[in-house]
Amino acid sequence: MKKIEAIIQPFKLEEVKDALVGIGIDGMTITEVRGHGRQKGHKEVYRGQEYVVDLLPKVKVELVVTEARCEEVTGALAAAARTGKIGDGKIFVLEVAEAIRIRNDDRDEVAL
Amino acid sequence: MPSKTQTESPDTETLRDRFFATGDASQLQAGRSEIVDSVVASAWNDFLAPAFPAGMALLAVGGYGRQDLFPHSDVDLLLLVEKRPAGAGKEALSAFLRAMWDSALRLSHSVRTPKECCELHDENVELNISLLDERFLVGDRALYETLQERSPRFLHGQRQTLIRHLCELTRPRHAKYQNTIYHLEPNIKETPGGLRDLHLLWWLNKLRDDPLVASEWLNGLKPSQDFLSTLRCFLHYRSDRDDNALSFDAQEEFTEQQFLPFEEPEAWMRHYFFHARAVSRAALRAMDASEGQNSSLLKGFRQWRTRLSNAEFTVSRERVFFKSPKTIPYDPELVMRLFQFVGRHGFKLALESERRIAEHYTVIEEHYKKRAPHWAAVLETLALPNAYKALTAMHETGVIRAVFPEWKRIECLVVRDFYHRYTVDEHSLLAIKSLEDLKKAEQPARQRFADLLSEVEEPALLGLTLMFHDVGKGEGDGSHAARSVTFAEEAMDRIQLPPRKRNLVRFLIERHLDLSAAMSARDLDDPATARMLAESVGTVEKLRCLTLITYADVSAVNPTAMSPWRLEQLWMLYLATYNELTRELDTDRIHESRTDSPEKARFLEGFPRRYLRTHSEEDVDQHLELDREREESGVGVQIVRRNGVYDLVIVCKDRPYLLASVAGTLASFGLNIVKAEAFANAEGIILDTFAFEDPARNLELNPSEIERLEFTLERVALGKLRARNLLKTRRTPPPPSKGGRIPPRVSVNQDASDRATLIELIAEDRPGLLYQVTRAISEAECDIRLVLIETEAHKAIDVIYVTRDGKKLSNETAGALKRAMLEAGKIE
Repeated sequence: MKKIEAIIQPFKLEEVKDALVGIGIDGMTITEVRGHGRQKGHKEVYRGQEYVVDLLPKVKVELVVTEARCEEVTGALAAAARTGKIGDGKIFVLEVAEAIRIRNDDRDEVAL
Repeated sequence: MPSKTQTESPDTETLRDRFFATGDASQLQAGRSEIVDSVVASAWNDFLAPAFPAGMALLAVGGYGRQDLFPHSDVDLLLLVEKRPAGAGKEALSAFLRAMWDSALRLSHSVRTPKECCELHDENVELNISLLDERFLVGDRALYETLQERSPRFLHGQRQTLIRHLCELTRPRHAKYQNTIYHLEPNIKETPGGLRDLHLLWWLNKLRDDPLVASEWLNGLKPSQDFLSTLRCFLHYRSDRDDNALSFDAQEEFTEQQFLPFEEPEAWMRHYFFHARAVSRAALRAMDASEGQNSSLLKGFRQWRTRLSNAEFTVSRERVFFKSPKTIPYDPELVMRLFQFVGRHGFKLALESERRIAEHYTVIEEHYKKRAPHWAAVLETLALPNAYKALTAMHETGVIRAVFPEWKRIECLVVRDFYHRYTVDEHSLLAIKSLEDLKKAEQPARQRFADLLSEVEEPALLGLTLMFHDVGKGEGDGSHAARSVTFAEEAMDRIQLPPRKRNLVRFLIERHLDLSAAMSARDLDDPATARMLAESVGTVEKLRCLTLITYADVSAVNPTAMSPWRLEQLWMLYLATYNELTRELDTDRIHESRTDSPEKARFLEGFPRRYLRTHSEEDVDQHLELDREREESGVGVQIVRRNGVYDLVIVCKDRPYLLASVAGTLASFGLNIVKAEAFANAEGIILDTFAFEDPARNLELNPSEIERLEFTLERVALGKLRARNLLKTRRTPPPPSKGGRIPPRVSVNQDASDRATLIELIAEDRPGLLYQVTRAISEAECDIRLVLIETEAHKAIDVIYVTRDGKKLSNETAGALKRAMLEAGKIE
């Protein structure tokens, strides 16, 4: 099993969700986050004073999938989240050791 | 993931085995509905029956209601209640749903009172629509009967609103798939012509008040429904989930099923398109008819068009009707006049007219068997302003194959090579459309071709050529062009086309691939290329026609095939050949009597003449400027965007693998090289030029990336950075299917150029392919003069002009190089 974590542009969330549902992924966790990567922040003027916004709002999508589907899912996710501009975000793939459904103790892939 | 009941229950297993033995979907669907019915009934008995002795009924709705359950379809359940459950009732409901959930059914449920079921849910019309398919399962029958009483009244009252909503839901779905059934990897549920369209017809049928017309929409679609259902069952089993995407790999696997009587995916995909086309047409017509029913304003607006009606045809709501269809059997030519009317005014055929044609189809076919139309009538049709619409209508009603039986060969014929998007018949019609669209072209790059079209003596002959240029596809080996000519000859015989026109059409069909071939694999600046083409076309008129045929043919391959780069290439090729034919010298490329500064003279000293021929005075000045930069920093780099592609020039001291390194760097930025050229002067200064495309629009959207690219290129050219390291981080995208792998092929051509050996490599495209190939050439101590790169989907076709010590390669060296390049192009 793999965990996929994607940091994406907030306005791309709907498209990403549709793309994932479209390939049969129906479980995911969405979090509103703030941060910066190479994009850094940008300058804004507020009441005449310039200040640096260094943490940009982003959305984090997390999901756990079987090994076999990982490539397909990251592909669909990237395609849906891409605008081509700097700031489109990143996808991380992590190894998952175990999954347990709390309600009935289902284990691993059955629990996904 | 595999669900518990589905793997453990022997019934489910039996159903699965039976399906794979017979391919019969309806049996499987009925069986699966039965299994789900029993799961629901047992959960009802365990949890709900004790808590609801009355006041609750379970209804199957949606696909489950229609007993149309695919192996992994959602199970839609309506819990019909007298009033909202509370307390113990609510507890029981939760326990019931949990039990259903744990039985691994993908349950979608809703809890409603009969009153709520009979309210319009603007936000959730799907609920109202799912009720069209309700089926009583278990529970309070009296409660269900109250719903049955209310429901027809509600549906009757809201009929028009529901129809409108249905159409509103359908249009964006079709638009999402570009309103076409022609997808190489279609989603067989959602694309136009998919199962969802069949459901739409089913619902519209139920909502219409004139069941006669409605049931006609579904008439004859049973085979399509069976075929699509079998496919969908297979896809669900194959992926073990609700997967409806017919990927290339799925197509290959489906072909292996014992119940399928076809050996190749192409063969049954042709059937898929036949079915999808039938369904899609029926759905569009039904929507058209249903929506049109109630829009009086629109009706009034469209009605004014009726003034276009004549003695034979009436126009109403932008649809053409026969005035007296009963005369078709006595005057089958009426049908041809109908299509000409369409071609003149651009309206669509009315559903009614299509039906009349279908009714008398045998008469029409017999008529044209005996009496082919005269060429003048054919050309007249092709010359009409909306010829494409006329031909499309002829195609859709099947009249085109009655008139030209050759068309039967290409109907729904699939070219399964990942590059062609459309079936051959659709491609031929779209090619005609792309010429028609030229007349409205606004971009200067296309207007040049529009001007060309206006100079052609008889444009209708281009239409005739395009209709037949690919009829030879689909069987036999070798070139389809020659086979197309054979079939076209038969047709031209029948319509008695005069010899002069006939010669032109024959020539155009025979040679319709020549310009594309030259564009992708020949150096357009090499006089040998223009000479060869000029010899083969002979006259300017033929060249014009062939250029336009090529324009139309490439444009109709897929929506992006005619890229700005190809458009430019085609124009350059036309110009070069035109000049060769008319001997008009392209003066601004010859710099015989330049008065150069000593610096410029030194810079130019030793560059091949070809450099001067292919670069303008302005280019040379800029290159000189880059050489000055080189003197200061060791390298001069310039990137300019023009005609939709980027031009890169690098000037630096020669070093091994320079071209390869630059190619690798561009690949590491995700850029597609389309052409590369290398020149060296007497001082050993190298000037490399690259033309590349930016498919992800990375440079356009992120201007700072150009600077980063320039900086990286400088460091690579100076040897401070290795292209190999840059490429390490780029992954090779997987090929579209296992069957789509492309083993490398290399061919050597010693005759195509006067000065160099041509090596053509066909290989699977991947980032850095050119890097590896050019490395192999450098390792063999050969010099690269020019590289032309063409990609068709994931197939790369590289043509490389190679020399050694300024001369063509010896056969021995060429052989060794061929082996090295095969190794470089190998799939990893």
